[in-house]
Parts: sequence; structure tokens; C-alpha cells
Amino acid sequence: MNATIQKIRRIEPLTFIFSLILIILFLFIFLTLSNMIFGQILENFSGLMKAAGNRSVMGAIFLSLYAGFIATLLALFLGAPAGYILARFDFPGKRLVESIIDVPVVVPHTVAGIALLTVFGSRGLIGEPLASYIQFRDALPGIVVAMLFVSLPYLANSAREGFKSVDPRLENAARSLGAPLWKAFFFVTLPLSARHLLIGAVMTWARAISEFGAVVIIAYYPMIGPTLIYDRFISYGLSASRPIAVLLILVTLSIFLVIRILSAGWSIYDRD
Amino acid sequence: MKGKIEVFKVVSVLLTLITIFAGLGCVDNQAEDENIGAMEDSSENITTSEDTVLTVFHAGSLSVPFEELEAEFEAKHPGVDVQREAAGSAQSVRKITELGKQADVLASADYALIPSMMIPEYAEWYAAFARNQIVIAYTNESLYSDEINAGNWYEILRRPGVNYGFSNPNDDPCGYRTQMVTQLAEFYYNDNQIYDDLILDKTGMIATTEENGTVLVSVPESEALSPDTSKIMLRSMEVELSSALEMGEIDYFYIYRSVAEQHGFKYVELPPEIDLSSIEYADDYSKVQVEMANGEVVTGSPIVYGVTIPKNAENPELAAEFVKLLLDESGQQIFIENGQPPIVPAFSEGKESMPEELQAFVE
Repeated sequence: MNATIQKIRRIEPLTFIFSLILIILFLFIFLTLSNMIFGQILENFSGLMKAAGNRSVMGAIFLSLYAGFIATLLALFLGAPAGYILARFDFPGKRLVESIIDVPVVVPHTVAGIALLTVFGSRGLIGEPLASYIQFRDALPGIVVAMLFVSLPYLANSAREGFKSVDPRLENAARSLGAPLWKAFFFVTLPLSARHLLIGAVMTWARAISEFGAVVIIAYYPMIGPTLIYDRFISYGLSASRPIAVLLILVTLSIFLVIRILSAGWSIYDRD
Repeated sequence: MKGKIEVFKVVSVLLTLITIFAGLGCVDNQAEDENIGAMEDSSENITTSEDTVLTVFHAGSLSVPFEELEAEFEAKHPGVDVQREAAGSAQSVRKITELGKQADVLASADYALIPSMMIPEYAEWYAAFARNQIVIAYTNESLYSDEINAGNWYEILRRPGVNYGFSNPNDDPCGYRTQMVTQLAEFYYNDNQIYDDLILDKTGMIATTEENGTVLVSVPESEALSPDTSKIMLRSMEVELSSALEMGEIDYFYIYRSVAEQHGFKYVELPPEIDLSSIEYADDYSKVQVEMANGEVVTGSPIVYGVTIPKNAENPELAAEFVKLLLDESGQQIFIENGQPPIVPAFSEGKESMPEELQAFVE
């Protein structure tokens, strides 16, 4: 009893230093964003309200969220199975495969956009055979493909880490009791790594919403939030683009906050 | 035990990275040394030489000639690093006037932007130094490319299945000039449906004819432009469309002759009455006006490039040297080769506030 109280009172130097660093990190992000957000709210609240009431502005922000959501679903569908294989099996060239999956994070997004347009354009490798069914250039499928490309690594990686954190012996135990692999995966491994997958999905969605460089090359229209912000900046300047930027931040921030609060209880699954 | 090995691994990776970066730094310094020649106190001198950066903001359509100017300038001035930033002309100006970015030289695809947006607050003078014209660029792969000529280009663009592109009039002079050229085509070819068929019906543009015969094209907000994307490819900057043509994403696009030339595209040269190339037809061009979404109205005029040294330039002397290179014979040669015929002597406004060594090149 006595010992625990003392432990709480005495702050370890390392904890103190790390906490200070956390404050610096937090302030770095917070000051940058809050300067913009509060600047907008205090100086020009009516401008913000006007932007919020503008149908095309809200439409563009909604399109960002919506296209990002589709991209995230596709990423889950592709990234989770891929992550499972990478977590459970060793095969020749695995390092290479893992490195290549990470490339979209490193590639400048304009380059990613050009590469995507080359493949999904109406005369591209994938675009041409599909040309009579789907138009990628300047259309929703193009936006989704661009978002998927740049954000997929986040999901694949966190899925892999999530599956790695589940002891394979648990799966084996389920299988020795007669469950086929798919049952062991869906009822043992998947629930245990759900939090990793969720965090990965949130990161993927976030990355998809913020994507600009790749999307603007393959689809300038229909306009997503970041394209509209850029466009307003070019044709009007800073003061016209800021309300939309603030709006986009506020909308996404509140969504992520809600997701984090809702998923906070999930951590119980993680271990023990 | 395993933990210790991991720590060693991380440390060794970090050490390797540090060694590589340090090595690169040394190589870089050595290269600088060779450029500058013998140095007594190398470290100090290197820092000063590395610090001399000449920042140049220019229109996307000036990228190729400015790259050549950069190479020539850096050869003449060792130790100076010319850093170019290509963007839409209006955007380049705004980077200075609104974002407060520092630039030593600004070159715009529409010289008129300098007097209207920068003088007197951000600049004192400009020199208009080269011309250009609007053409319809295509490749051998383009649909009906074997048929197109200056007499039927608008018929070809009308045909189903033909895709064409132009840049956003709100962002880019090439975009509003596209509106002017297509509108002028109605007068020239005596067909008052050309603009309607090619642009008006497929975008959110609005055209009104005024009493004196002038046509005013009103461009809506960019998000309301909503082009029919199965026919038209619209991009913020004209240069972005070049890659789309190369990929076969579009068959034709409205572009400056210089860009078509630099990319090795084929192009239809339009009649001088409509292609905004000739000062002779300036009166005809002025019959079309474009009102951008921000309310700014531009009147059709010959395409003339302008350059200035903004007031916030950090290295005004070097900037003057750069502009001098641009205006003198070697610069003129570069612009001739790139399909942007120079104006000799350049015409200017605010000549008296120009650096003295430049005044000889302008009138």
C-alpha cells in the first residue's frame, strides 16, 4: 500500500522528459492547426458559416469522405488477407514484396497520379479493356483508385502487425479442436486483431481524405475537398481557401474523435 | 539477449545512414570547391556560396526556356543556385502578394498581370519580352489527325468520340485565352454555334453578347464549371494536359505554340485573326472579354510575356543579371528556338525604376 503511494508521488526523470517531449510534439501540431482554425473562427466566422452553407463546398467535402470510405473498404478487402499471409508465412522475396507495398508512401504523389493515369487512363493497361464500362479519368472510380493506391500501405502494414500480435498457437488450438482454418481466422484471429485493423482503417481513411497530389492528376473533376481548397487558393487566394480547409479539418477531426471514443473499449481484447 | 542484439542493429543502421549522409555532404562540398576554385578558408566561403540562391517564379509555359537560361546563368555565375518554381501565372503572382514568398524574378505568361496585381505595391516595373500564340496540339494517335487543318478543326472537335482539353480559365491565362480563341472563331468562320457546341453546352460557362458586339464569357466558380468529362478534360494548368495528350487520354488540346513545339507535338496553326499572336489584330481580339469567377475581367489581347523583379527580392543585383541574360541576344536565341519569338526591344512600364543596366534593352 505504502509502496504504491510512493510510486505515484515520485515521478521518474525519464517519464518527466518523455512527457515534456509529448507536450512539444502536441504543441507543434496543435499550434499549427489551431492558429488556422481559431484565426478563421475569430476573425471571419461569417466566412466559415458561408462556406458551410455552400452546397458545392459541402459536396466536395462529402465526396472526399465518401470516396475515402470506399477506398478504405477496398483496402480492407485487399489489405487484411495480404497482411495475414505476410504475418504467418515466410516465402522467398517476402522482404521485397513488403518493401514494394510501402512504396506508395514514399513516391511523390504527383508521380503516383501520373503512374495511375498511365495504367487506368482510357488507353492504359487496365483502363483500356474497361473503357466501355468504367471511366476512371475525371470520375469517382479514378478518385477511389488514387486514394486506394496512396493509402493501402497503412492498412496492409497494420493488418500484418495485428495478425503478428496474435499467437499462432491460439489458431492451432482452435484447429486442433476441429475448426477449419477459415473458422479459426474469422472467430479467433480476426477478433483479436480487430483493434489493429480498425486503427489501420482509420489511418487509411484519413490518408485517403487528405490525398491531393495523386487525385488531382487523375481526376480534377468531380472536385474533392483538397482540390477545391487548392483551386480556391489559386483563383482567389488564402482568405477564400481557408474556411474550406478549416471546415474539412473540423469535419474529419470530429469523425475521428468519435471513432476513437467508440473503439476505446476494444483494447480489452488486445492481450491477456 | 535478443533485445540487446536488436538495439545494436538499430544503432548500426543509424550509424550507416549518418555515415552516408555525411559522405554525401563532403562530396557536395568538394564539388562546390572545384566550382569556386581555390579557397583559403573553405568552410566559411562554402556557406556563403551555398547561400546565394536566386529564386525564380515563372509561368508553366516558360519552363523549357527558363531551364536553359538557368543553365547558362549558373555557368556564368558559379556558386549561384537558380531555383525555379513553375506554376500558373496568377498563382505565381499570388505566392508573392498573398503568401509573402520571396522571389528574385517573376515571369508571367500575361504581362498584364504584373501591372494589375503587383504594381505599385509589390513591383515597380515590368518588361514585356516575348510572344506566343494559341494552337490546337495533337499527335498521330489523335482521332482524325490525318484530316485536321486550320479550316476544319472546330468540325473535328465537334465529332463524337473526340476528346479535347483546356485549362481552367480561373487559374490559368491559357484557359481564358482558349475561351477567347473559340469565341473569335465564331466571327471568323461565320458559324455562331462553334463556342456553344465546343464549350458552352458542355461546361457551366455563360456567354452574353453586349450591345456593341463585344462578347463577354462569364466563368463560374471552378467547382461549378463541371465540364462534361466524357468529352472535355479540364485541368488547372495547361502543362498538365501535355501528359494527357501523350497518354492518349485526349485527342486535342488548346495550348501555346511554344509548349507544343517543346513537346514535339503536331499542331494546327490557327488564323492570326483568332490565335492572339499578332499585335495587328489587337482590335479584333478585344471584342471578346472573359470574366473570371473572382470578378476580374480580361479583354482579348496579343499574348505577351512579362518579367519583373519583385520588391521583396533578396538578391536584386543577381536578379538584374538574370533578367539581362533573358533580354540580351543569348536569351533571345533561346526564346526563338522554343517557339516564343522575342520582342526586341522589349516594351516596358516604369522604365525609370528599372535597374540601370536593363534600361538599354527596353523602350
